[in-house]
Amino acid sequence: MTGQAAAARRVLVLRCPAWLDSDSASSDSASSDSVSSDRADSDGAGGGSAAARAFESVVAIAQDFCPQVEVLRPGVCAIATRGPARYFGGEAELARKLTEAVGRSGVICQAGIADGLFAAGLAARAGPTGLLVPPGETREFLAGLPVGVLGMPELCELLPRLGIETLGQLAALPPAEAASRFGPPGKLASRLARGLDPRPLIPRPPAADLSVQLEFDPPAEQSEPAIFAAKALADQMHDRLAAAGLACVRVQVLVRCADGQELSRLWRHDGLLSALAVAERVRWQLDGWRGAAGITLLRLVPDQLVRATGRQLALWGDSVPSDRVARAAIRVQAMLGHDRVTRPVLAGARRPADQVLLVPFGDTGVPQRPADRPWPDQIPAPAPATVFDVPLAAGVTDDSGREVTVSGRAQLSAPPARLSADGGPARAVTAWAGPWPVTERWWDPRHARRQARFQLVTEDGAAWLAALQDGRWLIEASYE
Amino acid sequence: MNANERSSATGAQVISLSPARHRDDVLTGAGLLPVLPALRELLPGGGLQRGSVVTTGDWGLLPLALAAGAVADGAWCAIVGVPAVGVRAAAQAGLDPERLLLVAEPGPGWTQVVASLLDGFDIVLLRPPEQPSAQLRRKLEAAARRYGSVLVIAGDWPGAQSRLLVAEAEWTGIGTGHGRLRARQAQVIASGRGAGERARSAWLWLPGPDGAVTAAAEPANVASGSPHGGYSSTVLADPGEPLASSG
Repeated sequence: MTGQAAAARRVLVLRCPAWLDSDSASSDSASSDSVSSDRADSDGAGGGSAAARAFESVVAIAQDFCPQVEVLRPGVCAIATRGPARYFGGEAELARKLTEAVGRSGVICQAGIADGLFAAGLAARAGPTGLLVPPGETREFLAGLPVGVLGMPELCELLPRLGIETLGQLAALPPAEAASRFGPPGKLASRLARGLDPRPLIPRPPAADLSVQLEFDPPAEQSEPAIFAAKALADQMHDRLAAAGLACVRVQVLVRCADGQELSRLWRHDGLLSALAVAERVRWQLDGWRGAAGITLLRLVPDQLVRATGRQLALWGDSVPSDRVARAAIRVQAMLGHDRVTRPVLAGARRPADQVLLVPFGDTGVPQRPADRPWPDQIPAPAPATVFDVPLAAGVTDDSGREVTVSGRAQLSAPPARLSADGGPARAVTAWAGPWPVTERWWDPRHARRQARFQLVTEDGAAWLAALQDGRWLIEASYE
Repeated sequence: MNANERSSATGAQVISLSPARHRDDVLTGAGLLPVLPALRELLPGGGLQRGSVVTTGDWGLLPLALAAGAVADGAWCAIVGVPAVGVRAAAQAGLDPERLLLVAEPGPGWTQVVASLLDGFDIVLLRPPEQPSAQLRRKLEAAARRYGSVLVIAGDWPGAQSRLLVAEAEWTGIGTGHGRLRARQAQVIASGRGAGERARSAWLWLPGPDGAVTAAAEPANVASGSPHGGYSSTVLADPGEPLASSG
């Protein structure tokens, strides 16, 4: 990730204008070729995949020159030149041979070579056949270009107003200042302007190495075996990605049926999905697909590779379920249903039952309110060991058998003497504390809750969290 | 805290599939799952014997505390048949919710659910939805043995290797109309199945003021046989702090 290492990397970008007609005509922005557009491209998935398939023939030719090709988007791919340039007799010779080979297949292309992907992309469009920027001269090459080539609309609007019109002027700005004044986009722009890569080039290994598939013979009549298989396949795929230090932005799930029907869907992955989560998406895909004959093939194809950042392990802290744990949980999910096997996530809330979010195993869940934030009305420790999802009905009476009430000013009608929970026998109250008034969500009349809360200890040694709400006594939790 | 925990935290070993059915999540000698220090003297060997069944009386903090030590050491825990688990109490007692799986309503096929979970989870806390037949009990005992897991039962289970029971308990910090629940001092008695097995007993904070489960001194003022949870001002007499303030 250091600047020197990224700058020293020589990259050849092969650009086929035939695939780029629409956007290259509409703007001079480099973003269409640059790495920053990966995300935007992925949104246009529909036509993109057909174009990607057609572009495969060009990628295949490039692969003859260098086995590892990164497809930036249909129409643009990149290779690292170090190895192949030595083999083919120099960078100029490599570029000439490559464009000729592609040209023979009937595709017009440009090849640009420079330090780093960004500059190479610009070099590729710098002339009819592209441009070779000699090593070490990338910064000079970039210096004369307008900041518009960065493809960052907001920044490109702002910079000229500050008198920064070329990449050279931007590069002259101290990097720390660019970062502090313009935030992360400024930092990225500054790196690009200085001829550094925002991220290392990710080679595209032959697709067969990373996609995984399983054939079912005889065809699987139910979705369950396919979902189990998907988990194992996803593990395999993740292993291969991990071995290459990669993660994928999307994963393509392809299911083929005995009657020849195929269902393919792209799922956003971002390197964040566990194998289990991938299996879950296969389940969704199969669930939403009625009337299918038996499944004969399941294939997972990682799509859009990015450098793995290790985030995939951070989703649930460090607690990534082991394979055995996951298998056991999935098996039970298969018996009971996906939603009935859950992992608890602590959230912040005033009512004990609201403090926990139950997330189906394999899904991801982020508490709406993080638990660490102090909620002023939260019950202080120790927390009750039993928290009723739906509070139990209760009766609390005083010495004379009348129900205990609380006035609007939090005045108790009489000390609580007996408690009966959930229709059970009345038990003598040996200790109690309260009332503590709680008004929750007072701003929202539909969800507003006004309560007086008590803690009660009964003769059997049990302790309860009780509440008086709308004239009714409820047991919210039990401490033992 | 220790090497096992760290190795599982890196994820590398944990993710790898282990065909030999080894419990590589938790590497403990002698087939014991570790428990919280305060619970050690209650269990023969100072831990939960893998493949065994342990009962804890009714559902409460005790089964959660029993699992906490193993989970802190990298084990995974499933709770079956308890729709009202106090997850925050579990966390305060040291049971990391990140390694917790909840199956609140296991349905009519609950024994199959438990058997499946025993093959995968090191420790399964179960409140049986109904009293199982001897045959079903034997089936689950066999599953625990086969997979080297520990089945903790909130309820009755003839044939359990160890039985833990809260014999006496007293809440402190709360009076009549003042204070609040602060801690509970409890005597836990453990008995084993073996003839030569002596009964063990320990006084615990179950829970302590921060929700943790730790060893407590035997209280001098607990009248044996008195079931009343009286107000003890001698312990943790920190008055005043409200349970909740008005919103």
